[in-house]
Amino acid sequence: MTKFIIRRFLSLIPTMFVIITLTFFLIRVAPGGPFSREGHQSEQIQQNLLKKYHMDEPLIQQYLRYFGNVLRGDFGPSLVYQESTVNDLVGLTFPVSILLGVTALTLSVVFGIMVGIVSALRQNRWQDYSAMSIAVIGISVPLFVTGPILQLVFAMKLHWLPVAGWVMGRAGALAIIMPAITLSFPFFAYIARMSRASILEVLRADYVRTARAKGLKESVVIAKHVLKGALLPVVSYLGPAFVDIITGSLVVESTFAIPGIGRIFVQSALNRDYTLIMATVIIYALILVTMNFLVDIVYSVLDPRIAYK
Amino acid sequence: MATTTINKAVNEFNQQVKPVSLWADAWRRLAKNRMALIALWIVVIYAAVGLLAPILPIFDYSHQEIMFQNIPPSLRPAGEVAVDQATKKLDQLRALVASGRNDLQDDLTKATSDLEALKVMVQSDPAANNVYILGTDYLGRDMLARTIYGGRISMLVGLVGTITAMLIGVIFGAIAGYVGGRADNLMMRFVDIMYSLPYMLIVIIMMSMFNRSGAIVIIFVAIALVSWLTIARVVRGQVISLKNAEFIEAARCMGAGPIRIIFKYLLPNILGVIIIFTTLSIPSFIMSESFLSYLGLGISAPLASWGTLVSDGVQGMELYPWRLLVPAITMTVFLFAMNFLGDGLRDAFDPQSKNRA
Repeated sequence: MTKFIIRRFLSLIPTMFVIITLTFFLIRVAPGGPFSREGHQSEQIQQNLLKKYHMDEPLIQQYLRYFGNVLRGDFGPSLVYQESTVNDLVGLTFPVSILLGVTALTLSVVFGIMVGIVSALRQNRWQDYSAMSIAVIGISVPLFVTGPILQLVFAMKLHWLPVAGWVMGRAGALAIIMPAITLSFPFFAYIARMSRASILEVLRADYVRTARAKGLKESVVIAKHVLKGALLPVVSYLGPAFVDIITGSLVVESTFAIPGIGRIFVQSALNRDYTLIMATVIIYALILVTMNFLVDIVYSVLDPRIAYK
Repeated sequence: MATTTINKAVNEFNQQVKPVSLWADAWRRLAKNRMALIALWIVVIYAAVGLLAPILPIFDYSHQEIMFQNIPPSLRPAGEVAVDQATKKLDQLRALVASGRNDLQDDLTKATSDLEALKVMVQSDPAANNVYILGTDYLGRDMLARTIYGGRISMLVGLVGTITAMLIGVIFGAIAGYVGGRADNLMMRFVDIMYSLPYMLIVIIMMSMFNRSGAIVIIFVAIALVSWLTIARVVRGQVISLKNAEFIEAARCMGAGPIRIIFKYLLPNILGVIIIFTTLSIPSFIMSESFLSYLGLGISAPLASWGTLVSDGVQGMELYPWRLLVPAITMTVFLFAMNFLGDGLRDAFDPQSKNRA
């Protein structure tokens, strides 16, 4: 087991290496740069700027320098927001996105599994049909449609919730409700469908019949026998789901004007803020690979049939 | 196509089993699935409207009628609707002034003269007789035409992206699965590493860096480059499970080379899986494109996609909700139908339900 974890952990290193290298060279081969935007600076200023940020060196040397700095946890100065370092900017915005992402993931897992259980146990009755119709809507409606429509109804027409903003703002904790619901809706739908399908499958298994034959209470059968087996696919979906939630939060952050890392990412890509792009990509990639790593481990703990190869 | 496959299938099957080809069997099951059939019709209608858009009796999607901005959906001519709108606004103003808001007096006189001017304009302007069933946007462009043309682009992105991804994925997966051994291992390691890339981020970087001119091609390339991975994995798995079957061995005995075996014998047998994946990935491509367009990184004006239309509609949705709702609903219905169709196809092609209802 320990060996499996260590091996799996070591396999993260080449992935991160590929991501950092690919992104570094991808953004450098693109035409334009952070200082070549309006052209209001003289040639000399341009040169000095490039020199200050070591951008006059050969690309490979810059790459090695950057790599060394990243290994020491220094993402360098922001090239566009020149008064702050990338570490500051990320430190300010990252917790916001994580709070939003974790809230959305929790919402979708809790409600998804609950709805999944109810529709599996009431298969082909109205509870099942209505839950599954909502789930199909959740999968088909894009985030950037859900968000504005919620805003239109609950903020502009009914005035129940603030239109936009974040928990630090005037509205306080109320501000997280709509973004979190918007973000969690497709994942809730997916988890509901998935847990329903797998619960239905497990309900037919022999060991469930045995458990019932032993005279166990139905609630015990469901909680102890059915759910343990049926939730495996849901667990393995959590990794990709969290990654998609983080990506989706790009849209939700821009819809609800939330000061998260997603907004910084899009802006930095448009501004050619090389250091900031690199930092956000590295952080996103780190979340992605760690989530997949954790899911693999949890999965192998839950399912003894999986060999630790 | 269905008839020829049925004829072939008859010879392959034991006499006792009712001879039904995979296709006929799948079609029969799909036809029983009401929702999937409705979805199929919706998709056909969307595709037809998209294809026929240039000859449909609709307005030009990029033509601006500055006089008739933000006209709500209506079956009456635009001139009448505009006059109604202005009159309503004037009444509101008058009521406000009557309730003691004397500071609005100037606005009231201006609105009154504007209304008179508008009435004169409507008399002479031929565009006043245009009927905008779904209203107009902030530049006075017809929402119906824009939604249809936006749909053309969105569906095109979905289709081209899917076809590219399918081609790369199927060939890559089939070769990896068929060759096996170290080559397979290497190829799949590569897929694994690609899989763990934050692909949407890379697409966003590519779009923002290379797409200054707003070319659609970049979107195709960017999305297709990163989305062939799943299909490659699936095809590889299928090929591995089939490549030791007797009919492949028979083909090899007859002297068929690897390329012939892959394309003539293996791929037709996994076509069902490929079709299901295609159907399910079209909506996800459309979502990705509109996701980018929503962030301002997709199609640029005057072209439109459903994503850009929704994104435009979000601005000013409180006053002009139809600008958001028209493209949003159109797009959602299509995605809904594609998802239902994909689910239906998956059930229909499920080998476990062969020869069953």
